[in-house]
Amino acid sequence: MSQDRLRQTGVALAVLGTLGALLVLWMVFFWVPTERTMGIAQRIFYVHVPSAWIAFFAFGIVALCSAVYLWLKDERLDMAALAAAEGGMVFCTIMILTGPLWARVSWGTWWTWEPRLVLTLLLWFIYFSYFLVRNATENPEQGKRFAAVVGIIGVLDIPLIHISVTWMRSLHPEPVVLKPEGPSLDPEMLITLMVGLATATMLFLGLFLMRYTVECLKREVDQRQTGAQAAQGA
Amino acid sequence: MDYFRVIWTVARKDLLIEMRTRERVAAMGSFVVLVGVLFNYSIDTAIVRPQEIAPGIIWMTIIFGGLLGMGRTFHLEEEDGAFSGVLQTPIPLDALYLGKTAANLVILSLVTVLIFIVFSVFFGLSFGSHPFVLLTVVFLALIGFVGLSTLFSAMSVRTTMGESLLPVLVFPLLIPMVIFGVSATSRLFAGRPVSEVTGSVRMLGAFAILSVAAGALLFRYVVEE
Repeated sequence: MSQDRLRQTGVALAVLGTLGALLVLWMVFFWVPTERTMGIAQRIFYVHVPSAWIAFFAFGIVALCSAVYLWLKDERLDMAALAAAEGGMVFCTIMILTGPLWARVSWGTWWTWEPRLVLTLLLWFIYFSYFLVRNATENPEQGKRFAAVVGIIGVLDIPLIHISVTWMRSLHPEPVVLKPEGPSLDPEMLITLMVGLATATMLFLGLFLMRYTVECLKREVDQRQTGAQAAQGA
Repeated sequence: MDYFRVIWTVARKDLLIEMRTRERVAAMGSFVVLVGVLFNYSIDTAIVRPQEIAPGIIWMTIIFGGLLGMGRTFHLEEEDGAFSGVLQTPIPLDALYLGKTAANLVILSLVTVLIFIVFSVFFGLSFGSHPFVLLTVVFLALIGFVGLSTLFSAMSVRTTMGESLLPVLVFPLLIPMVIFGVSATSRLFAGRPVSEVTGSVRMLGAFAILSVAAGALLFRYVVEE
């Protein structure tokens, strides 16, 4: 696909995602029934859970693109990893912000040393160091390689971190959708969650494509500038 | 050149430099003794018994003190520009990484022994009745820690942020080491049976293998020019 098409697709997805977000808000506040034990605060679930899925999904893209980038040295893979990391960081931040809000009401505490909370916080920091190393080198090529290494080690270590933190007792609600015996949610809740997930995915892909095209343009500007400088020097 | 001879040559060179300058061992050694002193005053012994929180503090001291020295793994080579020379020699880069890691492991093991001596003298700790299990726990954790910090110190030395970047990069990845290391040492100190720590030993083994394997695999991408 050409760059223009990518940008248009990105904008279209972002617009759809925004409309979807309005629909999700309407469903969350007016349509879906209230959960019996956790009460009204459980409605944040429809924002929280899709963000969590996207944050981990995006990190998968980062790691995959990083690994193939180190192998093939194709610039586009690095740009894709960067775009996914930025989108993923947005959703990881949403997850970290909505989690404590819900926890305060339903568990009575903002923070608890619960496996999934710790894992999320660490995921956020791995994303954070991804950007930190990228911008901390004099040679940009080196920064890209460093970031790729961080992305790969991050994804290798995440399962181990997960096992380690689950060692401790868990307070977090157990999965209600992705489990062997099938979803145990009320159908209306499940529909709302699915719309939320579709919305978050569209928003993420929209942001991803837009960020990717911006990065393409940025590199083009850089190349033209160095070309112009070389021409002046000659 | 034989693969293992490269590892040995690199490790021997690093240890020889350390033996002659004693820079890193001196910095880390004094750091850990002084942490022991500060730790004594950071708790109110009328309320908390130091023995109860000592295992956690020991591990934090290993990590902070260790990072202090590990961060300087590549400093000398980077300053003299000697590293480009090393890169031009026809040796496998993963062997170079393993040599560096081995030298760091020896240095950090010495410092860790010092930490255990200092803490046992200062706080009258007893190390339980299974010294070999304790040794295995500590050694496996150190392998994992050194594997990660050697890789990332090769990265941080080439950034504008330098060693200040190291904790941000390494700490999130050290969770397995801290959780299983502290859990195993606390139980061993408290004289609990070995069967309670075998799970932790296995996880520390996985952590060690994963760290060193990832480091050996990715090191070339960090150092290539």
